[in-house]
Amino acid sequence: MKKNAAQRRLRIYFTGVGGQGALTATSLLAHAALTAGLGVVAGEVHGMAQRGGVVESALLLGGWRSPRLDFGEADVLLGFEPLETLRGLPYLKPGGAVFSSSDPLPPLSVSLGAARYPDLAEIEAEIRQTAGRHRFLPCRKLGLAAGSAQSGNTALLGAVCAADILPFGLEELQSAIRYFLPARIQEANLKALSLGAEA
Amino acid sequence: MSAVSSPDHPLLGLPGERRLLLGNEAIVRGALEAGVHLIACYPGTPSSEVPDAFYSMRGQGRFRMEYSVNEKVALEVAAGAALAGAMSLATMKHVGVNVAADPLLTSAYIGLPGGLVLLSADDPGCHSSQNEQDNRHYARFASLPCFEPASAQEAKDMTRAAFRLARELQQPVMLRVTTRVAHMRGPVEFGALPQTSPLVEFQRDPGRFVPVPAVALKRHKALAAALEQAARLAETSPFTRCRAATRPSRLGIIASGVARAYLADALTEGGWEDSVHILELGVTWPLPVEALGAFLSGCDRVLVLEEGAPLLENDLRALAQRRGLAALVEGKDADLTEQGEYSTSRVLRRVSSFLDCPRAVAPARGPLRAVRSDLPARAPNLCPGCSHRAVYYAARQVYGDAPVYSSDIGCYTLGMAPPLRMADFLVCMGSSVSAGSGFAAVSDRPVVAFIGDSTFFHSGMTGLANAVFNRHNLLLVILDNGTTAMTGHQPNPGMLQEDLGEAARHLDIEGVVRALGVTECARVGAFNLKALLGAFADMKEKSGVRVLIAEELCALYARRRRKTARRTVVVARQGDEARRCLERLACPAFCRDGDDVAVDQTLCVGCMVCLQAAPGVFKAVSHRQG
Repeated sequence: MKKNAAQRRLRIYFTGVGGQGALTATSLLAHAALTAGLGVVAGEVHGMAQRGGVVESALLLGGWRSPRLDFGEADVLLGFEPLETLRGLPYLKPGGAVFSSSDPLPPLSVSLGAARYPDLAEIEAEIRQTAGRHRFLPCRKLGLAAGSAQSGNTALLGAVCAADILPFGLEELQSAIRYFLPARIQEANLKALSLGAEA
Repeated sequence: MSAVSSPDHPLLGLPGERRLLLGNEAIVRGALEAGVHLIACYPGTPSSEVPDAFYSMRGQGRFRMEYSVNEKVALEVAAGAALAGAMSLATMKHVGVNVAADPLLTSAYIGLPGGLVLLSADDPGCHSSQNEQDNRHYARFASLPCFEPASAQEAKDMTRAAFRLARELQQPVMLRVTTRVAHMRGPVEFGALPQTSPLVEFQRDPGRFVPVPAVALKRHKALAAALEQAARLAETSPFTRCRAATRPSRLGIIASGVARAYLADALTEGGWEDSVHILELGVTWPLPVEALGAFLSGCDRVLVLEEGAPLLENDLRALAQRRGLAALVEGKDADLTEQGEYSTSRVLRRVSSFLDCPRAVAPARGPLRAVRSDLPARAPNLCPGCSHRAVYYAARQVYGDAPVYSSDIGCYTLGMAPPLRMADFLVCMGSSVSAGSGFAAVSDRPVVAFIGDSTFFHSGMTGLANAVFNRHNLLLVILDNGTTAMTGHQPNPGMLQEDLGEAARHLDIEGVVRALGVTECARVGAFNLKALLGAFADMKEKSGVRVLIAEELCALYARRRRKTARRTVVVARQGDEARRCLERLACPAFCRDGDDVAVDQTLCVGCMVCLQAAPGVFKAVSHRQG
């Protein structure tokens, strides 16, 4: 019994850029987990991070009490932007899973010519060195195909769901979308979810 | 922040309902369950969602709430309401309690019959603050009972308990959260929601409520007695939780605040739940000394887990000495320091060495990835179309590096980053004017100070009155974007009347400035670059106290507020001028397309500042609203 419960304990680290919807994605998964009857704690950081900076959040499933993740604690890393996936890698437990968007959003330092955006191949090589499995997804393309670039986040959630890592399935995530998101964007997100799951 | 009040707000759900709530939302529900009458606040991360949730439920007759102009005023309004017998809540971030410290300490002397709860939202790790001060000091300093939740459910339950205690003792009570608790999301089961709760009728008693010296001395004794009663209640509080080891053990761990959560997870991960005595403190002031004494006497060594200052740790050492107990108290060390935050891993390492017991769960395979400091930075930045950027750009064009730029607290502090570099020093809210005055008094360099509309009303007005009174010499630029932008667009007196509605009244900033005796005052639109440059050039030639009010709505706020046809900018002529404009304005809507400069059409909000800064390089395009 206890072993079973421990197997379902899962810690997910989310990272992205302010305004991308990383916090909404966290809430969606949290609601889905609650629907599935799991213990849920999520941690967010508001405020400064919203002004175009990095936004990170955490979701701990299966009976944790902590609201945050430290380096090496995440079983799963969800990156909504490839550079932020790379920056967030220290949070991944070696051998963990990485799901990342492959669409760069270059920060201002790159636009100003003060810094170089790393190649996707370089990012992937670094991920390989620590992750047990990883997956890049063209989130923006899938989002646009579903009806809005924003819903690309949900495509990434679909891909994680289809990978059979989460202690719940697409159905719980679909009902979370219907419960949690405004009616006008539900269709696009439901479509993005299945596009991500099938990708 | 929702602009309309909803009759079926999720926080007004039925008893027994279970919802996923933010810690701050759970506090709101707890206050409603207690029967709160009045809420006064000054917004500040990580406290802001509390007043914002009340604001979204306003106008239903359940309570009265206000965004006060600063924390001192908020606490005084709440204290006055509690004197009139209302349950009142004052909310603020940790540094806000510094502003409110004066009424705080004396309101504990006179006691507040209706019951007042002060929410102090601390920020260990400085996620959005200028320091990481530990406001548990204030609970001790002001003699306030203090509750510290570590889950969303506790945030609700402790808020309700804090109100009940505040009314029972007639003493102000502190509810202290940290960023991780304020912004954690967890399931919360709702309790009953009373329709109304009774007011405690005010009985005139100057011998208690007017703290002239003789009264104050008498009340200091009464305060001590109230605190003793609170300590007795803490002994049997459901939030003082002791769990004995099931195996024989002479080791104990005492934890408070969010460290309780890290401890629980570390114990599960390590498989150590049965081998150590645990005492969780939810009421962290006054201390339940009998429970603590009994715990200490059952242990040879006790580890204390608390973020921030070693307050509990030192109090336990003192308690052990007073009671002649031999237990060795351990706490802060090289890993668990007074700086920053704790985590499950850090607590796990410490508990492992404390128990001299390796963790049961095998550590992860392979080494962790190191943090890469060479990656392109993604610092928070002024938004595309932010009016502050235009003002900063103009100031730099006219003044260059000659002056010192005295900054203040708000989005505009982000102007410190290159290429704008518009913040040379900052002390606290409102300091731009007064610290700028002091700098100019002893320096040959001109001082240009920047302050936002909300911060001006918070504590800039007093500094400005002082600057006029004492004949200081500086240019104060009031960046009036019509809202309290950084914390989520809360109302302030500078907000347009049409947005404030019936409950609040707009104050005209220029009228206030002139009434304070400033004669050199100009008002310009922040997106009118020519007018801005002219106004700066004009002010530069003058001396004494000068004020320039630069007006333009916050871009994020304006986008939500208006539905006008969208215009954006595209690059019409590539070359050095376009690149220079990118480098000088550093608008996040600019991006590189090979050697060319491009404007991201999804980010551009059409402020047209670049168009004015580099004529002929950009052109405007109109988009039909879909």
